[in-house]
Amino acid sequence: MQNVDAINVEKYGRPEMNYLSNGHTVKSWLLTKDHKRIAIMYLISVSVFFLIGGTYASVIRLELLTPASDLLNTGTYNKVFTQHGIMMVFFFLIPAIPAVLGNFLLPIMIGAKDLALPRVNLLSLYIYWLGGAFALWGLMQGGVDTGWTFYTPYSTTFSNTYVMAVGLGIFINGFSSILTGLNFIVTTHTMRAPGMTWFRLPLFVWAMYATSLVMILGTPVIAITVLLLALERLAHVGIFDPTIGGDPILFQHMFWFYSHPAVYIMILPGMGVVSELISNFSRKKIFGYEFIAFSSIAIAVFGFLVWGHHLFVSGQSVYAGMVFSFLTMVVAVPSAIKVFNWTATLYKGQISYDTPMLYGLGFIGLFLIGGLTGLFLGSMGLVVHLTDTYFVIAHFHYVMVGGQVVAYLGGIHYWWPKMTGKMYSEFWGKISAMLVFVGFNLTFFPQFILGYLGMPRRYASYPEEFQVLNIFSTAGASVLAIGLVMPVIYLTKSLISGKDAGANPWMLPGLEWRTSSPPPTENFLIKPVVTWEAYDFSEENGLDIEDHLTRREVAPTI
Amino acid sequence: MATNVEALDHDHHYHPPGLQHQFDDMKQQEESVSIGMWMFLVQEIMFFGGLFTAYLVYRSRFPMAFAAGSNHLDAFWGGLNTIVLIVSSLTMALTVYYAQKGNRNLQMLFIVLTMLFGMTFLGVKVIEYTDKYNHGLVPVAGLNRKAKAPAATESGPTSTGGETHAAASSSEHGAEEHVYVNPRGEFQWTDTSLAKLAEDHHYLTEAERNGYYSNGVVDANKFRDKVRIYFWIYFAMTGLHALHMIIGLGLMAWLLFKAWRGTFSAEYYMPVEMSGLYWHFVDIVWIFLFPLLYLLGRHFMH
Repeated sequence: MQNVDAINVEKYGRPEMNYLSNGHTVKSWLLTKDHKRIAIMYLISVSVFFLIGGTYASVIRLELLTPASDLLNTGTYNKVFTQHGIMMVFFFLIPAIPAVLGNFLLPIMIGAKDLALPRVNLLSLYIYWLGGAFALWGLMQGGVDTGWTFYTPYSTTFSNTYVMAVGLGIFINGFSSILTGLNFIVTTHTMRAPGMTWFRLPLFVWAMYATSLVMILGTPVIAITVLLLALERLAHVGIFDPTIGGDPILFQHMFWFYSHPAVYIMILPGMGVVSELISNFSRKKIFGYEFIAFSSIAIAVFGFLVWGHHLFVSGQSVYAGMVFSFLTMVVAVPSAIKVFNWTATLYKGQISYDTPMLYGLGFIGLFLIGGLTGLFLGSMGLVVHLTDTYFVIAHFHYVMVGGQVVAYLGGIHYWWPKMTGKMYSEFWGKISAMLVFVGFNLTFFPQFILGYLGMPRRYASYPEEFQVLNIFSTAGASVLAIGLVMPVIYLTKSLISGKDAGANPWMLPGLEWRTSSPPPTENFLIKPVVTWEAYDFSEENGLDIEDHLTRREVAPTI
Repeated sequence: MATNVEALDHDHHYHPPGLQHQFDDMKQQEESVSIGMWMFLVQEIMFFGGLFTAYLVYRSRFPMAFAAGSNHLDAFWGGLNTIVLIVSSLTMALTVYYAQKGNRNLQMLFIVLTMLFGMTFLGVKVIEYTDKYNHGLVPVAGLNRKAKAPAATESGPTSTGGETHAAASSSEHGAEEHVYVNPRGEFQWTDTSLAKLAEDHHYLTEAERNGYYSNGVVDANKFRDKVRIYFWIYFAMTGLHALHMIIGLGLMAWLLFKAWRGTFSAEYYMPVEMSGLYWHFVDIVWIFLFPLLYLLGRHFMH
């Protein structure tokens, strides 16, 4: 049978050259058009930015250990949380899953040799580096203190920090995600292998497609907004300055027109990864494939209509607020559909608790809390009490870190054998996954309470009665930090002394598991023809799961 | 033809000109490149969309100040440029046509013509920008050298430069009314007749009354600031558009070189067609810019 042959890639022997061994010079990396090598370079780059952003986060948590502002002065604190936000949002969260996992896997998952526009892909990496360099330069010169939202007129008229340099970095970086999104859309439309119909696509590809739509339609608006901000700062013509007829609220509208959809850039890819994890590690066809696929698109579309819920207390008309509040509730529906479908998939599945699955299950719980608290903030009455408090901080960290970062880590663990050809230590993997989950909750759950009690965000000092909860939070951050550093160690170690993963270490039906690990430069030695549905675990598809599970129990882990 | 290419491609011997390795055949490549270009244009629309939004917000808030600004622009030059661009779209379309026909000479001729029209457009833009410069209408601080007001403006950021000409028309201008002084820019505008016209005919809006008036009389300083927003949006929009024209001319130069080397044929002409899409898009942006910036509100003074 063709499928059985395809799934047992080893039968054909390994290709003489894989994408890693195909050229070892620096030039062969820097001028590569191979989506897999570009993904690896992105992986290293976003990790660097994650490290920088994480360092700022540690400094914030250390400062908040005590009520007084003793570690940093208040001006420095403003810069620290601003740079934490900018590094994490623009240079880590947005590119993380699309540019690393999406870049690596999207072409393989649809059976293509490469992305449709490989040169554009390389260009996006260089644009990312250039934007990152500007942001880092501004940071080394003394940084920015406006908050990652750059609200006017503070950012245009009053701040004496490096708004222009960092703003330019974000402007440039935006084109990197535009080009990535453009490439994904084109690739999904034109590069699918024979037999790979739209409804046979892995749900990760659907999520990438939805994300790309947001990237293409939203990112140009933030680009022009930052450009307006920079020109206003340069010329002081008053477009955002109320004293001469400008309107600072216009900035907020334009900023959130992008940045709210960008929130979905920061969660949709995570949902895509988790759809893969839940179905594959339950060894069961995903429940309600079409619903999950279209809910991604629905989130992308509705995501563009809810930006006004960031302006409830900014003097926006009450009637506009009511519409935005309603639409915010509407966007919760497709998110809930996803959670229900994942849960239903787990029901009566053959669940194996491998490291990626631990991250996947953690995602469902954390995203649930993050999503539901979003409803609190989307209702116009409650938000008056909760706005600009730690409740907001906790909410969006539950979605961005508990959602996207956890999904990203799950995805990295899941596809690591494919990307490197090596298995990491399952034992340490599970420990780190659990540390991340526990540390994360300990860090951010107290912040819901703090926010509800009225602790405002963006202050270096706070009243003494808040100290106990803040100590919990800082302690949790330490656990989280350990949980995040551990993968760096054991994943690196796996490169040196890890066992060979083989083509299909998890025994899964997806196309990416039907080529050798690491894949050859053109992904498949024989052009694949898809004859099976997505997540088809039936025996006819060539997967002997019983046998695989028995072998796993006998084989020692570590 | 597609099946033919596919069959040959399996042998890895025949390679159609311009076919990249990741594609199976020309049809797939053309489709990919074409969708990619359209997606790029979609993001361009959103990019300009931000500026159009800013324009709409301020035009609807301060219509008379914007009308005053529009009336200063020369509709002759704007109209001429519109015609130039429409004709250049025609020559661009003919370029694509002759590229598909594989007619190298006519293709090069029309690329050159397209470039000439593009440069004419930019030349006219230079004439117009120079006019703004000479009239002190560049909203960027310190760029209105010729129109620089005498005295008091040289003494650095704490001076009240920019208020000099307004002092004559407003009896009680001062720090308390106009806290924000523009310390470096000397944007010049004195004509407030349109605000008075609107008041006389009772169509002054509430936002305008707050925006132009101090103590019941038109404040020339405040009116000037609104006109300045207009000119700022004018420069931002036309400047960004001109930047796109310059990039377009770069594309044309590249196409000319490729055409001269005989790259394009009935089999391989996608770069020409894609550059054509880009060129038409930039033209269409101008078709929107021209009425919005030049024509709206002209009836007030003409």
